[in-house]
Amino acid sequence: MNQLGIQEKLPFARAMRISIQGIRIRVGRSLVTVSGVVLGIAFLMSNLTSQLILKAVQSERELKQTVDLMQALVKSEIGVLEGKQIAVAVFGELSNADEQLLARIRSGEPAAIRAFGVSGAPYESYPLEKVGEGVVAMLVLGDAEVAGISLGDLTAGMSQKVVLDSVDDRRFEDALDSGVRRELFFGDQVRQRQAELKAAEKQALFRTIWIAAISMFVTVIGVSNALLMSVTERFREIGTMKCLGALSAFIRTLFLIESSLIGVVGSVVGVIVGATLPLLVYGFLYGFPTVLGALDYGLLGLAAMGSACSGTILSILAAIYPARVASNMVPAAALRSTV
Amino acid sequence: MTTDSISALFASAASEKHSGYVIRSVDVKRVYKMGDSETHALRGVTLDIERGEYMSIMGPSGSGKSTYFNMIGGLDKPTSGKVYIDQVDIAQLDPRELAWLRCRKVGYIFQSFNLIQVMSCIENVMLPMAFAGLDAEESRDKAMDILEQVGLGDRALHKPQEMSGGQQQRVAIARALANSPVILLADEPTGNLDLRTGEEIIDLFVMLRDTLGVTIISATHDLKMLKASDRVVWIDDGLVTKVTTPEEMDISVADVH
Ligand SMILES: Nc1ncnc2c1ncn2[C@@H]1O[C@H](COP(=O)(O)OP(=O)(O)OP(=O)(O)O)[C@@H](O)[C@H]1O
Ligand SMILES: [Mg+2]
Repeated sequence: MNQLGIQEKLPFARAMRISIQGIRIRVGRSLVTVSGVVLGIAFLMSNLTSQLILKAVQSERELKQTVDLMQALVKSEIGVLEGKQIAVAVFGELSNADEQLLARIRSGEPAAIRAFGVSGAPYESYPLEKVGEGVVAMLVLGDAEVAGISLGDLTAGMSQKVVLDSVDDRRFEDALDSGVRRELFFGDQVRQRQAELKAAEKQALFRTIWIAAISMFVTVIGVSNALLMSVTERFREIGTMKCLGALSAFIRTLFLIESSLIGVVGSVVGVIVGATLPLLVYGFLYGFPTVLGALDYGLLGLAAMGSACSGTILSILAAIYPARVASNMVPAAALRSTV
Repeated sequence: MTTDSISALFASAASEKHSGYVIRSVDVKRVYKMGDSETHALRGVTLDIERGEYMSIMGPSGSGKSTYFNMIGGLDKPTSGKVYIDQVDIAQLDPRELAWLRCRKVGYIFQSFNLIQVMSCIENVMLPMAFAGLDAEESRDKAMDILEQVGLGDRALHKPQEMSGGQQQRVAIARALANSPVILLADEPTGNLDLRTGEEIIDLFVMLRDTLGVTIISATHDLKMLKASDRVVWIDDGLVTKVTTPEEMDISVADVH
């Protein structure tokens, strides 16, 4: 007599079909919800992209200033480069500024640039001991310590014995007692400026985090609100489904599927919009080659991935409360509502 | 609508013909609290409904008919009192058992259809079958059969809002019959139907009762429906005021109209 059974769960694929169908038919409504996510994620992404562009443009400018500074010292120490012989000793890796300085020196048409420790074009490379008679100055570039090489020996053949160093004037062991005049490209002023830049960068990072938090908040509130509204206007539908044998889990699944689809679509669109807008704006402002050339695409990709993922996850989180409200409704109460 | 073909659909349900009471309600009360005010929608309804019975419920608007349907259909919980379906106190059922009961044992026909607007007719009819575990193929065929029998075979792919009230009501009936229920709860099923379709519904109900032993409980003001039923229960202000047979109706109908 008491032949009651237990309701089986509806397969996920079926729930998925029903959910997608609902979204397709309520396109208008779904678009409003999606646009909430788009807005939040586009806001986040555009801020991240702007930061990256600004940083790229700024470091480009910073680099130019640095090279200007180095060139000024070269000029004051050596004067006109034309017809003079200059030695370049490189230890370790050349920095961007070092490379640009060399390029500029080359365009000053000195008689010869004798490069030591540099392999390959465009400079003739000589063994270290062959710094010749006519060489007026030596640039010491690169970031490495110098081990086992004496500055005195190195400059022995030079007529003027001026050494311009881009890192530290004491990287040669005998720097102080070699009697060679040494000048540093970067004085205290430059070092201080670099420290300031570091601090500003830190501040920018804080601002980025703050903006990211706000835009995520916007996304959560927007999606929650939109889904809550779509729950309210579907009370009757939910009640009807329960009368027909839907389990609460099915109703929850329905809303979670809906919100994750909304989250994915909204996030992708948001990332595209959010990346494109600042690229256009700064492109017109600083010129597209500058912006596109200096941009760190690895970081941009990372920002896009992060924004898209957080948009999707937040949409799903935002749906949990509305989904619970919907699934806990008593069928009779849900059926009565006339929204 | 051919009653013969519908009876074929219920072939399996026919074997479930048991005697005894299929629904019992004992002193069921339902109080709606809205802020400070209380509405006593049901003030203690005790009714035993026999298996295979066709019972009509009559009463003025607001007397508590829909509320009573909600109680015996497992859609709402009484404030006090008990409802037994097949001797099981439905207050004791866990959500999955309750869902199973709503899905397979009870068919609901609502006063306001409650079709799912985003689904076509056939999808509406297929939905309870999906919940019962039928696969899409099988349920599509079965749903099409039922729709054809309520005369809507050519409308299967239409959305509810593209149909007349009477057509929507017939879709709702088809959906209620989807899982061959043993109890059919119909809240004013002929309210929106023309005379002829209304009569077809009555024929269908009588057939379901006679050949398959489906228990039918229907709220109605339709004299023809009242006459077709086994028993008429009169409800007023949340209480059963009298129980009559249709034969005694002729005199008492005058009281209502
Ligand atoms: N969810 C609810 N909240 C508050 N009051 C309710 C609720 N449902 C029903 N009522 C009240 O309970 C009473 C009975 O309502 P019910 O819907 O059962 O009447 P009915 O007999 O079905 O009427 P009708 O013939 O008009 O459909 C009414 O006074 C109604 O206002
Ligand atoms: Mg009613």
